[in-house]
Amino acid sequence: MNDKIDLSTIETLSCKQQVVRAVRFNIDGAYCLTCGADKKIKLWNPYSKLLLKTYGGHANEVLDAAGSCDSSHIISGSADKSVILWDVTTGQPLRRYRGHASSVTCIKYNEESTMAVSGSIDNTVCFWDVISRRQEPVQVLKDAKDTITSVQVTDHEVLTSSVDCHTRLYDLRVGKMLSDYIGHVVTFASLTHDGQCYILSCADSTIKLFDKDSGELLNTFSGHDSKDYMLENAVNEKDSHIISGSASGEVFYWDLVSSTCTQKLVHSNKKPVVSLSHHPTDNYLLTACEDEVKLWGVPKMEE
Amino acid sequence: MSDSDSDDENFILYGTPLDPFEEDEVPSKRKFQQPADQYAVDDHGRRRFHGAFTGGFSAGFGNTVGTPEGWTPSSFRSSRLEKAQASKQKPEDFMDEEDRSEFGIAPRHMQTNHEFSGRKRPRAPRFHDGPIPGEPVLEQLVRAVHETAAVKMLRRMGWKEGQGVGDRVTHREKKKSKEQHKVYGCYMPPEMRQEPTQSSDSSDSEFEYETLFAPDDYEPYILQKKSDRFGLGYKGLSRHSVLGNLGGDERSHLVMKEKGKKVSIRGQAFGVGAFEADDEDIYATQDMSHYDFALGNPAEAKTSKKNVKAINVIEGFVKATQPMPSVPAYAPPALPRDYTPLAAGTRRSRFEPTAAVLHRDQGLGRHELTAEARGALLGEVPVPKTPIDTHDPPQTTSQTPRQTEMSKFLQKNINFISPNTETVQAKSTPDFISIKDSGKEQVAPIFKPFAGDPLKQSRYEMYLRDKDSVMLERERDADRLSEWERNREMVEFEQAAILYRPLSGAMGDRFTHASEPDDALNPLCAVAKSSINYGLATPEQVEAAKIGAYGLITRKESAWRPEALVCKRFNVPELGGARVEPKKDGKPNVSYSIFSYLESSVHDKESFTKEQSKFGGSKSLNFENKKDTSLPSKEKHNEVINIEKDKVSDISIDKPTTSQVIVSNTNSSQEGNKRMTVVDLFLKESEKDLQTKQQGAEVTETIEKFDKIDLYKAIFLSDSENEDINDDDTTAKDKDDNDFIVKPKNIERNTSPPRGIFANIDFDEINAWRRPENESGDNKTVENNIQTKPEETKEKTIDSINDGGKEMTGEVEQEETYGPKIPENLKKRLESAAIIEIDNFKPIFTKKNKSDDDNSLSSSDSWVEIKTKSKKDKKKKSKKHKSKHKKSKSKHKKKF
Repeated sequence: MNDKIDLSTIETLSCKQQVVRAVRFNIDGAYCLTCGADKKIKLWNPYSKLLLKTYGGHANEVLDAAGSCDSSHIISGSADKSVILWDVTTGQPLRRYRGHASSVTCIKYNEESTMAVSGSIDNTVCFWDVISRRQEPVQVLKDAKDTITSVQVTDHEVLTSSVDCHTRLYDLRVGKMLSDYIGHVVTFASLTHDGQCYILSCADSTIKLFDKDSGELLNTFSGHDSKDYMLENAVNEKDSHIISGSASGEVFYWDLVSSTCTQKLVHSNKKPVVSLSHHPTDNYLLTACEDEVKLWGVPKMEE
Repeated sequence: MSDSDSDDENFILYGTPLDPFEEDEVPSKRKFQQPADQYAVDDHGRRRFHGAFTGGFSAGFGNTVGTPEGWTPSSFRSSRLEKAQASKQKPEDFMDEEDRSEFGIAPRHMQTNHEFSGRKRPRAPRFHDGPIPGEPVLEQLVRAVHETAAVKMLRRMGWKEGQGVGDRVTHREKKKSKEQHKVYGCYMPPEMRQEPTQSSDSSDSEFEYETLFAPDDYEPYILQKKSDRFGLGYKGLSRHSVLGNLGGDERSHLVMKEKGKKVSIRGQAFGVGAFEADDEDIYATQDMSHYDFALGNPAEAKTSKKNVKAINVIEGFVKATQPMPSVPAYAPPALPRDYTPLAAGTRRSRFEPTAAVLHRDQGLGRHELTAEARGALLGEVPVPKTPIDTHDPPQTTSQTPRQTEMSKFLQKNINFISPNTETVQAKSTPDFISIKDSGKEQVAPIFKPFAGDPLKQSRYEMYLRDKDSVMLERERDADRLSEWERNREMVEFEQAAILYRPLSGAMGDRFTHASEPDDALNPLCAVAKSSINYGLATPEQVEAAKIGAYGLITRKESAWRPEALVCKRFNVPELGGARVEPKKDGKPNVSYSIFSYLESSVHDKESFTKEQSKFGGSKSLNFENKKDTSLPSKEKHNEVINIEKDKVSDISIDKPTTSQVIVSNTNSSQEGNKRMTVVDLFLKESEKDLQTKQQGAEVTETIEKFDKIDLYKAIFLSDSENEDINDDDTTAKDKDDNDFIVKPKNIERNTSPPRGIFANIDFDEINAWRRPENESGDNKTVENNIQTKPEETKEKTIDSINDGGKEMTGEVEQEETYGPKIPENLKKRLESAAIIEIDNFKPIFTKKNKSDDDNSLSSSDSWVEIKTKSKKDKKKKSKKHKSKHKKSKSKHKKKF
C-alpha cells in the first residue's frame, strides 16, 4: 500500500473570496470550483493555480456548486435561496430556480447531469430538471424535519443528511425511503465509491461509517474536532481512507478499516477546514480554509 | 222650360272645364297639360328654357337657340386696320336685357355702395359649434372699430354723442323745438306731450340767463313691426303673466285721461263692447288668475282670498292652499357605540394606544365566541392542561344526545360532533394546540362522513379505532359485501380519515415546537434544537442510537414515490401502474381545491403503500403486510390480485415490471457485493475466523468471492435476507416468496377497465369460478393463476403461448426479463425451438428459491454466470458512456 506516502501541499490558491464555503473537483478532477462568501463561484485549474473564470450572479453567499458530467454547466446553490445553472464558457446564468424557501445548502447533479438535486434550510430536497425549461421543482422531498446538510446522488439513489439526526436514502428503483436515525446532527454524508457505505460526519466530533443495506454502524472515526462547524468528509479514491477536516485547521486521514488516524495534514493554524474534495481517481485532495484552498498530493519527485 | 236648360243658362263658367271622363277610363293623377303650357316663356312669349343640348337657359344671342338663326358665332376677322383682338367674353355677352332687369340674374340698377349702405356686415354672425360654443372670442377682440361714413360726416359737422347737430340754441328755443317735434305718422296727443315739459319746468329757473345749448340729439323712434292682427296696443292673453301683472313698467303708448282719471290703454283683452255697461276698471289687466277655476262658492273664495291677503302676504302673492310636498327627511346616520367626537383636524399619534381596535369586530357574532366554542365548532379536541389527560379513551357512541344537540345547533350539511362539550365548558384550555398529541386524537371528534349509511358509518368508526380489526371484521361481512366493494370502502375510509381529521392534526406533521427562540445571527442554534427533538425519532430509536445499536431499530423504511420525470432523468424504470386513480391526461390541473389535496395525500406515503399492499404491493413495501399475517386475509389479497389481473388488457409480460426492477435491484446489489472493496478490505483485515471456516482454501476465486458475499451478508445483513439465500425451504417461506414475486407484478399493472377484446369478458365470473380452486389449499401460486388466465379467456396472444411454454418449464418467469423487450417474431421462433433455448434467451435471474430442485451450488453457479454477463454488459455500457463522455469532455475542454 503506497497510501502511506505522505501527502504534501502542491499548490495553494488564495481565492480572494472572503471565505471559501465549498471546494469541489469537477467530474474528472482536472478543475475545481470554489464557492465564496463573496457571492461568486470561481473555476480554477488547481494544478497550475490558474483562475479560469468567475461566475457572478448570486445575491448571497454561494454555499455549494457542482459541475456537470460534460463540464459544460455548473449548478450552484446559494444563501439567496436560489439555484443557478451556469454556462461554463460564457459565464452567464442559464436558469435560476427559485423553489426553496430558504438558503440552499447543498446541490448535486445526477449521473447524467440531467437533473439537479438540492437541499435547503427549509427542510426540503428539490429535484430540478435542468434539461427542460421547467421552473418548478420536479419533486420535493419533505421528509426531513430540519435543515438538509448534504445531498449525494448516485445512479438511482439520493442520500440526504439532515440536522434532524437522520440520514435518508431514497431509492428510485424500488421506490422506498430508508431513514436512519443517527442520534447526532449529521453535517455531511458521503458514500464510498463502491456505494455500500455511508460516511457521516456527526456533530459530536465523530465520523461514522454505516452499512447502507442494513443501517448498521461499521466504524467510528474520531480525533478531530468538529465544534459547531459543518465539516465535510471524503473518502479517497481507493476507498481505503476517510478524510475529514477539523476545527483545529488539520486534515485527518483515517484508515477505513482500522479506524486509526494515519495522517494529519496541517492546513492552517486554528482555522477550521470546512470543505474538502478528493480527486475522483487520483491521490489529490483539495481543502478549503477561509480564503485559502490547498491542493494536496504526492509531489512527483522522480520526474 | 226644362230645368236643365235654365240651370245651364244660369251658370257662369270660369276657366276651362275639365275633359269629361270616359266611362271606362281610369282617371290619371297627372293632369293633362297642353304642350304649350309646359314651356316657360318670357315677356315676349319666347321660350325661356331650352334643353341642355339646345343651349339651356335662355340660350343663344337674343334667345335664338331654338330659332333658325340659332347661334351666330362671332367670326374671326383680322385686317390691317383691325388686328384680331383677343376677344374677351363677358357673361353679359350672353345675357338678355331681361337678365339685367330688376329680377334677372344680373340686375343692373343704382345701389348704394356697400360702404354707404349703413348696415355693416349684413351677414349674420355665424357661431361655430366647435369645441368652444358661442361667438369666437378672438372675433370679439379683433372687431374693427369702424364708423360708417355718415357718422364720420356727422362728426365733421360737430356732432357728438348726446348732442344734436346744428347751431347752438337757447334753452327756450330748445324747448320750443321739442314741442314742435317733427313726427312721422300720427301726432302724439298733447296730453302725452305734456310730461316732458313739466319735468323740465323745474330746471327752467336755472337757465334763465342766456346760455346756448346744443340742440338735442336726434333720438330715433324705433317703430316695432306689428306682426299680429290685433288692434292697436292690444295683446292677447299671455301665458307669461299668469302670476299677475308683472309688467307694470310696461308703458302703453295709448294713454288717455278721461274724467280726471288716468286711463292707459294697455294690457290684455281690454275694451268694452258698444252695448256693454261700463266696468269699474275696464282696462284693468285681465289674466288667468282672475278667473275662477274651482267649483263652489265664489264669494267664499273671495273672502278667503281677502283673508289671505290680510295675513302677511306680499301683494301679488297668494298663500298656497296646499302645503308643499314635503321632502322626505332621513334620519342622520347612527353613530357607532364607541364614537368619540374628535375635531376634524386632530391626528392620532401612532404611539397612542389603539383601544378602539379591540372592539372593532364585536358586531360580528363569530368573534364573540370563545376559543373553546370555536374549537368545538371546528371539531378540535380541547387540549387539556396536562398532557397525560390527552389519552382519554375515545368516546364515540355514548354521547348521542349531546351530539344531536350540537348538530342541531350547527344544522348544516356537515355534522361535526364534539363529544367533549362538557369538558369544553368546564376547563379553560391553553391557547396553543399541542402538536404532538393532536395528530393521534383523530378519533375523539368524529365527523360523520357516512351518516347516510349507519352500517358504513359504524364500520368507519371501527376503522378509525383500529384499522387492523376492521380487516378481520370485514371477513365476517364477506357475505354481504363483495370483495371489490370492501376494498373500495377501505380506500374511502382512508380518504375520509385524512380529510376529516381536525386541523391541528393535519398541521401537526408540518411543524415542530421550537425549544429555543430563533436566533438569526447564529445559524447553528437550529442544530441544538433538533438534537433535542430527535427529529421525530421514536424513543426506542433514541435508545438504540445511544448504545450504538444501529441497524434494524434505527432504520425506518417507508415507501416513497419518485416522480415519473425523475425516473426518466435518472434512467430508472418508473415505478408505476399501481396508482389507482387515472393519470392526469395532458393538461396540468392547477386547482388548489381541498379535493386535489385529498387525492394527492391519499397517494402519498402510508396510504399509498397501504393501497399497494392491498392491491398487490411488492415485498419491498411489506412492512405494512407484516401486520396482517392471518391466512385468510392473505388469500384475500390473492383474490384482489386476481381481480387486478383480470383488468389487465396489455401483455403484461412485455412491459417492464417492478419485479424486474426488484430483480435488477437485487442483481445490482449482488454486483455491488462483488465490487465491494470496502467490505473486502474489511474482511481481509478482520480477525474473524468464520471466514476461513466457511470458505475452503481450495475454492476457486469466483466462489470465494461469492462466499465472501455470503459472509458479508452473514455479518452485516439482517436475518430476513439470510433466509432468502437458503434455497430449500418450507412452504411458509414459499408463501413469502409468492408475495415477493406476485406482488411486484401487480404494481405495474394496467388498472384501466378492460378494453377491446377484453371488454366483453366477465372476469368476475371467471374469477369466481377460479376461487375455490385457489382456496382448496392447492399449493399453486397465484402467479400460475395469472398465467393460466389468458388461456381460459382463449386469447390467442403471444404471451399465452409463452405462458404455455413456460408452464411446461415451470420455472422461468417471463416477467423477470431484464433488458430490452424481445421482438415478437423472435419470440415465436423461440417458441418453436427448444425450450432450453428459451432459457438461454432469457437468462434472466431466476429466483433461486423458486427452483425447487436446484441445490445451492447450481444456484451459485447461475449467480456467477449472471454476474459475469451483466458485468460485461455493464462494462460495455460504461465504455460507451465513457467514450461519449470523453468526446464531450474533449469538446468542453476546449471551452475550459
